[in-house]
Amino acid sequence: MTQALEGRTILVVEDESLVAMLLETILEDMGCATLGPVSTIDEALAVIADGSAFDGALLDVNVAGKEVFPVAAALKERGVPFVFSTGYGEGGLPEEWRGHPTIQKPFTEDAVQQALMRVLGVSD
Amino acid sequence: LKELVKSGDLGVDLATAFDASLNPYMLVTPELRYAGVNEAYLTALGTTREAVIGKPVFDVFDAGPGDQGRESVRLVKASMERVFETGEPDHIALVRFSVPVRDANGETTHQDRYWSASHTPLKNAAGQVLYVLQHTTDVTELELLCQRAASAHEPASALEAIVGGGMMERTRLVQENNRKLEVERTRLIDMFMQAPGFVAVLTGPNHVFELVNPAYAQLIGHRDVSGKPIRDALPELEGQGFYEFLDDVYATGEPFEGKESLVQLQHTPGGPLTSVYLNFIYQPIRDVDGQIAGIFVQGHEVTANVRAAQRQKLMIDELNHRVKNTLATVQSIAMQTARSHEDPRTFAESFQSRLMALSHTHDLLTRSHWEGADLTDILRHETEAHDPLRLVVNGPPVALGPAAALSLGMIFHELATNAAKYGALSNPDGRVFVDWSVANQADRRLAIEWRELDGPPVAPPTRRGFGSRLIERNVRHDLGGEAELTYAAEGLRAAITLPLDRGHDQ
Repeated sequence: MTQALEGRTILVVEDESLVAMLLETILEDMGCATLGPVSTIDEALAVIADGSAFDGALLDVNVAGKEVFPVAAALKERGVPFVFSTGYGEGGLPEEWRGHPTIQKPFTEDAVQQALMRVLGVSD
Repeated sequence: LKELVKSGDLGVDLATAFDASLNPYMLVTPELRYAGVNEAYLTALGTTREAVIGKPVFDVFDAGPGDQGRESVRLVKASMERVFETGEPDHIALVRFSVPVRDANGETTHQDRYWSASHTPLKNAAGQVLYVLQHTTDVTELELLCQRAASAHEPASALEAIVGGGMMERTRLVQENNRKLEVERTRLIDMFMQAPGFVAVLTGPNHVFELVNPAYAQLIGHRDVSGKPIRDALPELEGQGFYEFLDDVYATGEPFEGKESLVQLQHTPGGPLTSVYLNFIYQPIRDVDGQIAGIFVQGHEVTANVRAAQRQKLMIDELNHRVKNTLATVQSIAMQTARSHEDPRTFAESFQSRLMALSHTHDLLTRSHWEGADLTDILRHETEAHDPLRLVVNGPPVALGPAAALSLGMIFHELATNAAKYGALSNPDGRVFVDWSVANQADRRLAIEWRELDGPPVAPPTRRGFGSRLIERNVRHDLGGEAELTYAAEGLRAAITLPLDRGHDQ
């Protein structure tokens, strides 16, 4: 695993603590800091609104029964790159977000890193 | 006939015209007896009014000898009966009927005559057929002319002899074909009527309903659509595209097929719109010239199938989502467990027991069809390996949703494993007390206390393991509660509080 993303801070939105802990561990191994993890849409919007500094985000599509797209829209408006994570497969994204970088659960460390590097515009 | 006029069943004008006509006419009762004849008829038959009135028609009227005579009687009789039965006029293009002729010597012989006959119903105000009016035209001269023309040249072959036969034979065939077609038509209509699918026949460019079967009638709430254009008969279809599909079929002659088409229909006149899914086909009906005369509509409702397929897709998507999430959870457990076990054997043991803990809670939830589980059941399930006298549970019934059940299952598993390895269940004398209560009925909070007693002396761990991190994170992150682990000298204490009525527990 390369350290191409070392020093970046990534917001994690994920409602299952075990999955959030996995992402934290993966991010830690890549030299990244985790912001959150937060487990609800409201918490995620609050973090974006209070001006916390972070470089990118990992968004679970279904957060405690709600879709994460308002958070995605807020990030897009702020110009913060992000990656979706989902168990629904490719068809799970609505038209508006189709084709956006997405990692499928369960995910490999490599998949998480490649997706983040792609949206952050970082190469090996 | 004058008696008939008196009875008011026939108009005077008609009666006068009837008697004065040069065409032979007769009236027949439903029992096929003469009710009236005009002068022309009497002349043609060479008989008198007194000889026929009230007599059975086919006693008086001799069609002549042999099979040909019997067949002619059958033909005329069937035609009359048809008119009484259906109330519709019936025609016989050509029938051979012998008539008695008295020659110069006063002898009576039979002479073949060819007739064309129409039978018309005469109805009373209630629409009941009282009499059938027979109007006959003697076409003998015409037929004989045709026969002479046909025999003027010798048939070149046997085949031509057969196909080039007299007009009589050809007419007989046409009549037979018409009868077969009539039977066929009736049979087809019966089939439409009894078809389990819906059938409608629309006529003309405005798609006027000509025929609907019971299945179609049921679909549209038994509204009377007969004779109405579809835009008037089923106005709720406006804007749903069906009028336009019909217009296209009528204009182009290309059939249109609808698959699982969503239609908003009124099941009762003026009632609310109901969504139904239909498989159907619009097929053009062409007249003899090949021009499009109407549209044949046929199909069946597939609402139940479509809904079942939608439900199934939803369930498969949801199942896939849950499986993928569970796999991600297992992946996390594997990865975190691996970090605290360098020995593959202790890793495998620890990983397996965590998987089993997860699996046990799944079993509990499956029993309730994933509606939830009771706190006591979850505790018993996760601690069943331990002596119930040494692990004492005490609290009221608390129903937990699936997410809370899964979280607490994992948490109790971690606490019990830790107690068995290092705490009160690792020596012969230690005990664990698990007590809980629900406070604040309006905004309910569950408070659980896990207390270990009489175990080996406890010292705070030098580094936080996966178990304690999992407990703290799970309670805070997944359950929106708080967890506090206290490493007291007499034994570990874990205090967990969480809200019970979170809206999104699923």
